[in-house]
Amino acid sequence: MKNLSGYNSVAALLFGAATLFPLHSFAASCCGGGSAAALTVPKYARAVADLSFDSEIYDGYWNQERKHVADPAGSDLKQYRINAGVGYRLARDWQASVSIPYVFNDNVYSGVNSQSDGLGDTTVAVTYELLDDNSSWKIYEAKDMIPAVSLGMSLLIPTGISPYDDQKSSFDITGRGFYRLDGTLLVEKVIRPFNASLALAYGKYLDRSVNREYGKYVQPYTKSLGDRASASISTGYTYVLGTAGDSIVGTFSYAYLNEEDASYNGSIDSGSGFDKQSLGAALSYYSNDHNWGVRAGWNHAIKQNGWGKNFPTTDIFSVGVRYVFL
Amino acid sequence: MSSSRVAGMMLIFALLAGCGDNLIPSGEDKRPVVTAGSSGAAVSQKAPDFSVQNTSYVMVTRDSSVAGKKGAVFYFTMWCPICDAHMSDMRASIASSFPDVNFYLVDYVTGSVEGAAASAVSNGYAGGVFSVLADVNHNLVNGFDATMGTTVVIDSGGIVRMNEDYRDGTALYAVLSALP
Repeated sequence: MKNLSGYNSVAALLFGAATLFPLHSFAASCCGGGSAAALTVPKYARAVADLSFDSEIYDGYWNQERKHVADPAGSDLKQYRINAGVGYRLARDWQASVSIPYVFNDNVYSGVNSQSDGLGDTTVAVTYELLDDNSSWKIYEAKDMIPAVSLGMSLLIPTGISPYDDQKSSFDITGRGFYRLDGTLLVEKVIRPFNASLALAYGKYLDRSVNREYGKYVQPYTKSLGDRASASISTGYTYVLGTAGDSIVGTFSYAYLNEEDASYNGSIDSGSGFDKQSLGAALSYYSNDHNWGVRAGWNHAIKQNGWGKNFPTTDIFSVGVRYVFL
Repeated sequence: MSSSRVAGMMLIFALLAGCGDNLIPSGEDKRPVVTAGSSGAAVSQKAPDFSVQNTSYVMVTRDSSVAGKKGAVFYFTMWCPICDAHMSDMRASIASSFPDVNFYLVDYVTGSVEGAAASAVSNGYAGGVFSVLADVNHNLVNGFDATMGTTVVIDSGGIVRMNEDYRDGTALYAVLSALP
């Protein structure tokens, strides 16, 4: 990144970082498994490697009436995830990535104590960079406002432990058991120290046959999960430390997730869909050569009535480190 | 092909091989054949006996759970959003159609009668069509090989008629409709 100056280089790094925190907020163990978000190779870089750790702490849920309900007294429900990801630039405007989480479930109730771990669901993605943000530090005319725009396809691969495996307890689940194909759009603009992004995704699960539930064989049926839509917006500020070029980026984000009802043998299961809104904040530090970056983030589901439906409310604390290969 | 690529591919295959049935799901019916009337948790078997208190501290057993009724439904809850969706659907769409069936919510996580009662209240399931059982010693969850969302139906003779995930309630409705 040494051939880039100031905010341009930070912009290139942000192009990937902006998508990481909001998407991780959708990984609740009961409803979303431990899927990792896709990551993005900065422009002009050859590849990127990313390693992060999430601690997701459960605290109640939104019920069918969108009312927030507390967990049973004495319960302490957590999921930890180690996410490893690699992105590789295939061509000037094309890149591919793979992200794999390893999930640790830690569930304590007054009457049950369960710890388990296993691979989560894997995400592979291909991204095309439709437009580049070429004017992050000099805005003289309208075309300088053109944001970076990328389109992508990602595939969630059910490598985790699902309810349809030979696992007797719901506490052991680390994945949903379904393939999902997502189309993604990321729009981002950096103007001097300020940045903003919009990330949209729409996913369709592939139907699957089920002949076992929590270790028990059942009469086979076909299950379909509802389409999943997500959107997040973020805004941030870059503070350059001294004259060496080290920088700290602060980001705030809002994320929305909706999944439609599932169906069994083509019959809709009304009430099985869910939605969630959450807020996030993150701090990232980039070294002066911008090869290394570290970050810490917090995603918070608002534990009040009306901010979600049929979904757990959680706080996700994340730390991560990233290395960019030039 | 270089040795590193071969090693990489072997690693990927090893990882995928450990991913259970999700990568290539099976639709084959693999339900084991059981002897009808034998003791066990599978459909057609005689349900294991149990003894658990409800939130009124009344002891409920296999036989008392169906006394004077066509059968009983046991839904295993950990008071989670999926559980709430199932219980809400059962209350709204099924329970009222079967007044001659007892409906039990089995709390296997809170570990006490008081905890089960408090969870029933805070989740909005105290009273009404459901009786909440505090499965403190896990008699029921172990006896029926149950977990979150498992729905068990036994008939008036104590025979298991259903033991599977709730899903959308269609199977439960059909099983209850067929009770003698």
